Amino acid sequence: MIQLKDIVVKFGDFTALHDINVQVKEGEFFTFLGPSGCGKTTTLRTITGFIEPVSGTVTVKGRDITHVPIEKREIGIVFQSYALFPTMTVYDNIAFGLKIKKLKKQEIDQKVREIARKVDLSDEQLQKAVSQLSGGQQQRVAIARALVTGPAIICMDEPLSNLDAKLRVQLRNELKKMQKDFGITTIYVTHDQEEALTLSDRIAVFNKGYIEQIGTPNEVYNFSKTEFVCNFIGDINRLSDEVMQKLKAAGADVDPGKHNYVRLERLHVNVDPLPGQVALDGKVTMREYYGLYIKYYIDLGSQTIKVIEKNDGVRIYEEGQSVKVILDPRDIMAYEPGEEVEVAQ
Amino acid sequence: MSQGLDRKLRPETLLRVFGIAFFAYLFFGFMLLPCLNTLTSIFRTKNAAGETDPFAVIRFFLAGKMKRYVWNSLKLAIYLVVTVNVVGISLVLLTEYFDIKGARILRMGYMTTMIYSGVALVTGYMFLYASDGMLTSLMKNAFPDFNPNWFSGFNAVLFTMTFACTSNHMLFLRNAIRGIDYNTVEAARNMGARPFKVLLKVVLPSLLPTLFSLTVMTFITGLCAMSAPTLLGYDSINPEIVRLAGSSTADEAFPQARAALLSIILAMFTIVLLTVLSAYERKGHYLSVSKTKAKLQKQKITNPVWNVIAHIYAYILFIIYMTPVVMIIVFSFQNYSAIKGKRLDLNGWTLINFIGKQDYTYTNDRGREKTVVGAISGVFSNEKTLGGIKLSFLMSAIAAALACVIVVVACNYIFNKKKSKLSGIVLEYSLLFPWLLPTILICYSYRTYFNSNDVWYVGNTNLYSKENVRFLIIMAYTVTKLPFSLRMIKASFYAIDDELQDAARNLGSSGLSTFLKVKLPIILPSVLAVFALNFNALFTEYDMSATFQSPQGITYAMVIQGMLADATRGANMNALGRRCASTVFIMIVSGIVLYLVYGVGSRDLGERLEIRKRRRERWEKLFGKTEKKEVNKTL
Repeated sequence: MIQLKDIVVKFGDFTALHDINVQVKEGEFFTFLGPSGCGKTTTLRTITGFIEPVSGTVTVKGRDITHVPIEKREIGIVFQSYALFPTMTVYDNIAFGLKIKKLKKQEIDQKVREIARKVDLSDEQLQKAVSQLSGGQQQRVAIARALVTGPAIICMDEPLSNLDAKLRVQLRNELKKMQKDFGITTIYVTHDQEEALTLSDRIAVFNKGYIEQIGTPNEVYNFSKTEFVCNFIGDINRLSDEVMQKLKAAGADVDPGKHNYVRLERLHVNVDPLPGQVALDGKVTMREYYGLYIKYYIDLGSQTIKVIEKNDGVRIYEEGQSVKVILDPRDIMAYEPGEEVEVAQ
Repeated sequence: MSQGLDRKLRPETLLRVFGIAFFAYLFFGFMLLPCLNTLTSIFRTKNAAGETDPFAVIRFFLAGKMKRYVWNSLKLAIYLVVTVNVVGISLVLLTEYFDIKGARILRMGYMTTMIYSGVALVTGYMFLYASDGMLTSLMKNAFPDFNPNWFSGFNAVLFTMTFACTSNHMLFLRNAIRGIDYNTVEAARNMGARPFKVLLKVVLPSLLPTLFSLTVMTFITGLCAMSAPTLLGYDSINPEIVRLAGSSTADEAFPQARAALLSIILAMFTIVLLTVLSAYERKGHYLSVSKTKAKLQKQKITNPVWNVIAHIYAYILFIIYMTPVVMIIVFSFQNYSAIKGKRLDLNGWTLINFIGKQDYTYTNDRGREKTVVGAISGVFSNEKTLGGIKLSFLMSAIAAALACVIVVVACNYIFNKKKSKLSGIVLEYSLLFPWLLPTILICYSYRTYFNSNDVWYVGNTNLYSKENVRFLIIMAYTVTKLPFSLRMIKASFYAIDDELQDAARNLGSSGLSTFLKVKLPIILPSVLAVFALNFNALFTEYDMSATFQSPQGITYAMVIQGMLADATRGANMNALGRRCASTVFIMIVSGIVLYLVYGVGSRDLGERLEIRKRRRERWEKLFGKTEKKEVNKTL
């Protein structure tokens, strides 16, 4: 559907994108994920035509659109700020692109009302100013406006970043439902890993203008290809050399010379170790109560490790309490020591 | 090759070339060259033998014969800085900071200078305080030894301008004090500071940047004062420039070069002051770091004696501000004899000062009854006055619109990400250029430079002769309004989100279409506000048209000034009444403009739709449900 081949983008002497190669399938929800300044928005703007690459090609359904003007690419965009025209009503905002295409008034009216129905906007809301709508309604207008001209692809640039946490979760679900209903190929940009994991069919993790990994949410989370991805996605413990030596001494097949990581939910407290698992002695130094789960900070002597335990209301450990941390060496993700990893979470 | 040529001849390219040529023509032709001509004219003076003597004017100046005007202007500016700040700060503190009873009414009174200023205000003050003014006459009746000419010269100018120049304080200082976080006041009180200490140590320091700007602006206003010194008889720079501009070498030594020198001196002062101001502004203002700012609460003056004194002071100021307004409004509806007798006649109410014509009948020295046909006429029936109104209206509207169009086009260029930054900066600074020059210098330069058939780029036409002068006045109005328009409209361009333009382009809109359909509607309220404010200022403008001194360029303000002289002549009996009516008319026009700008103009689409909805509901309640209009009509 969409193919980015060897895309290089430069701003003066600064190279923003280095040989980016991505293939997005038809109907897929594909997310560009990464910290600020990693190149994800630049890649999106290259696809939409706001930025022209120094080299490389952008093709859609086999057609090279690298040098096609923005307005002729037929790619819908939902902007971070929604970019709704404040001087127009909701109706006029949605109809804008159709009017530019010089469609007949009747046809415009029919298309606007049809798309409004699909995104759940009432006739009354169509006559309102965009400033009179809630954040969620504004998002739906932005989506309707991007979809009404019938684009083959829709690009979304952090459309949830300006909203409060509760609304973000609510709209995230709506967004996913809408994408499934329309079946449209979607490219989504975000720095929020939770958003990326819950929404996407596949994720491309960006870092410093490179793509570190492309994969399903499960692949990037549980089988992170690089140390950066493993650090950037989710919370994680890097195991100290002392802990690694202990594991080795316990007969585990691990390499203390590497950078070794383990996810918080893969560790357990005070359970009987299964074969192959190792028990480490520790003391609870701090406890964070999240309701659904509890996060413990456990001092293992050489390092403090974080563990997440389901809150069953029974096994709750107090600060200062001695516990055993159960670790399965097979859950460790190990990386060759290389470049220093900087992660802006 | 042909593709390259096609690209070169694209409408957008042609438009760009035309735009660059237009701005270059405007800058060089109507800003730089006329002013340079004024500057160089100082060094082109000729002595009695007809030889060029480059330093004759400077020697003349140094000999002390012109220093008086500069010193007088400086004296006025320095005094004004003190008096305007004292009164201006008082007004703001009394209405916004201290708990004074009736603060809303007081505020309205203090803000009256926003709806009438310049010649209208000065003539209003003269109506009360001049030697034949109402209050002076009252005082003279009560105290026969009272000097009827007390209101003239420096004191009268200082008094009038002190109360006329507080509008900026009421706008900007008021906003600044309202922006203070009340939590900082509470924190100071909590730490043991008494209210007066809080005012001195917390409130006033945070107002200092605004006060500094206001002080510089007041100083420049004092230096460039025109209408008050002219009408009240005070020898300062600007009236002298105008006088010299109309003089000839037969009457005195090199008047034109002297006028030029005075203009340049004024410009130098202005440049220095504005440089100081921008350097200060660049340092930045105090910004509130509060995450949740609390609204300023009015402070009660706990000491009863001080409280009474503050109330008395507030109401004395109110009386000073309101008396001319009330008197002018009342007397604009009084007949000729009531105005002449300076007493209110409850049976003498009339609209004749506004509309209609009457004959004036009187008995002469020989006891014969004489009638002067049409000697009494209203503002809208007197040809001269109506002519002035029409001319001012047209010239102000054209100039205000031109300034806005030029600035909008320029801003669209400056904010275009595709265009080079340097060309944007050059364009911006060329439009700000008139800010550095006193308006009198620009007008004087136009008057002298274009009063010839040798200026090739205006088709060798004498723009100062006959009706052409109107074009020159419009150009002067436009050029002097460019810096203000640029500052205001540029601010509204900053408010346009880049993503809006990207969205429009993504939906297929061209550059021109994006500008017309997306950007322009967003900035339109600001552009209209700037147009209205420009129009308001120019409609009653006096300084510039007085500098041109042309019979074909008699503006409304000049007509009002002329009424002072007319009042003493038999043929125009109710000139004084018409003056009052004119001032009332100006107040109404300014009031409407300010309402449109700050009332209607500041509403966004949502508010407008809400109001429309409420109006429709009220209508339906009163007259029953009407047929539903097409719902998708573009608003």
